Amino acid sequence: MSDVLVSARGLEVHFPVRSVGLRRTGGGVLRAVDGVDLDIHRGETVGLVGESGCGKSTLGNALLRLVPPTGGRITFDGSDVTALDRRGLKEMRRRAGMVFQDPFASLDPRRTVAQTVAEPLEVHKLRSGRRERAARVGELLEMVGLDPAVASRYPHEFSGGQRQRVGIARALAGEPDFLVCDEAIASLDVSVQAQVLNLLRRLQRQLGLTLLFISHDLSAVRHLSDRIAVMYLGRVVEVGPAATVASDPQMPYTQALLSAVPVPHPARERARQRIVLRGDVPSPSAVPSGCRFRTRCPYVFEPCPDVDPALQPAGAPGQLAACHLHGVVGIPVADDTPEGVTTTPTS
Amino acid sequence: MTGQPLPEPAPSPTATDAGIPSTQRAARPRWRETLGLLARNPAAAVSGALLLLIVLVAVFDEALAPTGPNEISVEDRLQPPSLEHPFGTDDLGRDIFSRVILGAAVSLRVGFLAVAVALVIGSLIGLLAGFYGRWVDDVLMRIMDMLFAFPAVLLAIAVLAVRGPGSGNTALAIGIVYIPVFARVTRASVLGVREEVYVRASRSVGASDLRLLTRHVLPNAAPPIIVQTSISLAFAVLAEAALSFLGLGTQPPNPSWGLMLAEGRGFIDIAWWLAFFPGMAIFLTVLCFNLLGDGLRDVLDPRQRTLMAGGAR
Repeated sequence: MSDVLVSARGLEVHFPVRSVGLRRTGGGVLRAVDGVDLDIHRGETVGLVGESGCGKSTLGNALLRLVPPTGGRITFDGSDVTALDRRGLKEMRRRAGMVFQDPFASLDPRRTVAQTVAEPLEVHKLRSGRRERAARVGELLEMVGLDPAVASRYPHEFSGGQRQRVGIARALAGEPDFLVCDEAIASLDVSVQAQVLNLLRRLQRQLGLTLLFISHDLSAVRHLSDRIAVMYLGRVVEVGPAATVASDPQMPYTQALLSAVPVPHPARERARQRIVLRGDVPSPSAVPSGCRFRTRCPYVFEPCPDVDPALQPAGAPGQLAACHLHGVVGIPVADDTPEGVTTTPTS
Repeated sequence: MTGQPLPEPAPSPTATDAGIPSTQRAARPRWRETLGLLARNPAAAVSGALLLLIVLVAVFDEALAPTGPNEISVEDRLQPPSLEHPFGTDDLGRDIFSRVILGAAVSLRVGFLAVAVALVIGSLIGLLAGFYGRWVDDVLMRIMDMLFAFPAVLLAIAVLAVRGPGSGNTALAIGIVYIPVFARVTRASVLGVREEVYVRASRSVGASDLRLLTRHVLPNAAPPIIVQTSISLAFAVLAEAALSFLGLGTQPPNPSWGLMLAEGRGFIDIAWWLAFFPGMAIFLTVLCFNLLGDGLRDVLDPRQRTLMAGGAR
């Protein structure tokens, strides 16, 4: 499992913030994704968690180049995604699918289920002939637990869960290796969430998919993932095996995040100690210097405002956290020049 | 659900699964179904039938008209409607019924041609401007603003002044006047559709821009464009009348509804039928275009379609 399929190095997605008025210059920069390092190994499921607005979805979109990265590198199966030409990008998008959050918005209302699911087949010329394509569409619909006879129906005739299945069938049509599920269960009813979650897990095993499961639902992520990556304000601040990150988080933010998850056991739930963070998440257009979590961290000390912490081994084997409590490593904040590398650990 | 073997029992269908009969129902071709649904809307159906009649009249005008357009009969001047002359005669004794029939061809041709020019060029410009944004949008829409800034009639007169009068050039002039209207309507609609998740979803499976534009953006941006087309057909017929009135459109003695309306204006107090019948022809045509356009817009929306089909089944 050491074979890396998707990798991000120092990935940045910055959006210019336009000031109101006629002039389009001026205004700041919104750092949606700000220096993300993440490796996703072949065949594993990585859960990406974080609160709203921390850049989870932007990261997922950037990995497929649906949002253009403004800095850093993405590699997909060894090739540099940011440097792909039109043909390379098309092939990459065949090998990497995406399931979207809102199943009511992600299906074209004017196209039948068959047309939607067949789109990747047509785009990549995967099946020649109408009949073969229809057969493949039926196969895909069955794979996601839908009756192939619904192929001629329009999306509005389906429930949210069924639509999401159609969305999954479309994402699988190109026979991808990698699937990004961007809050794929967030807008479904709770009863349906479990079904879709189990469907994803079954498909992942059956097809040997590599999965990036983006969610703010920690229990869903723990249920599905091999490894968990925690994002805060555009940066991955902790990553590691799902069990250890969930049971023994090394980064104060992860600790606070996990302490907010209710425990389905009355006695333990009563004993649960919540870590309530001070204040709000800073705006991604005004990221604090040094450690971006220092404005809310209960353990803040001297190096925090001055050194931007890098991911370093902490806790269990394979677990990485970006926190000075495990030793001060990272990039010191310089007043004028933001660049100035001293120690960068091998991650 | 069919009894296909699955590695794991398919998750139980959600409640609405039961509501979907699992029969294939794409047996009838799409356009026949569309026509069938359109026929269920009485206003659209009647309008469609009437328009078909008007078009047929325009096509077979020479065969249908009792007299030639310019046959003058001095003793029959300004006759009110009668059995011999159903719509009466004008100040030169020409049969208005015949002239209305023969004018249909001119008016409709100018209307269709003008709207075709505006629809094709304007929508293309709006589509590209709305979809690509940035400098493409800036450049294209500023050019449209420039066209827009001219008063419509003045712009049409300018085009006709350059190209010379005649019905073909009239159509072109009216078409050019309406290009920015279509560009704006299309762009506004495209701006909304462009941000839809299904467009991004389609891009995520590797679809090209051309595919996104033709398969997803244009069909979903179409409803306002359809409405604009039906309204513009009406306005184009009226604009042709206005230009003919100014002596720049159809040249007398050729008949067109607009020109006849204009010519009849001078006699309105002594012979109402001169202006009334061509006016009615314009009114009916315009009304039919609008009602048909409304019906078409509803029928082309799959959501409305199910409601309509469901109500009748």
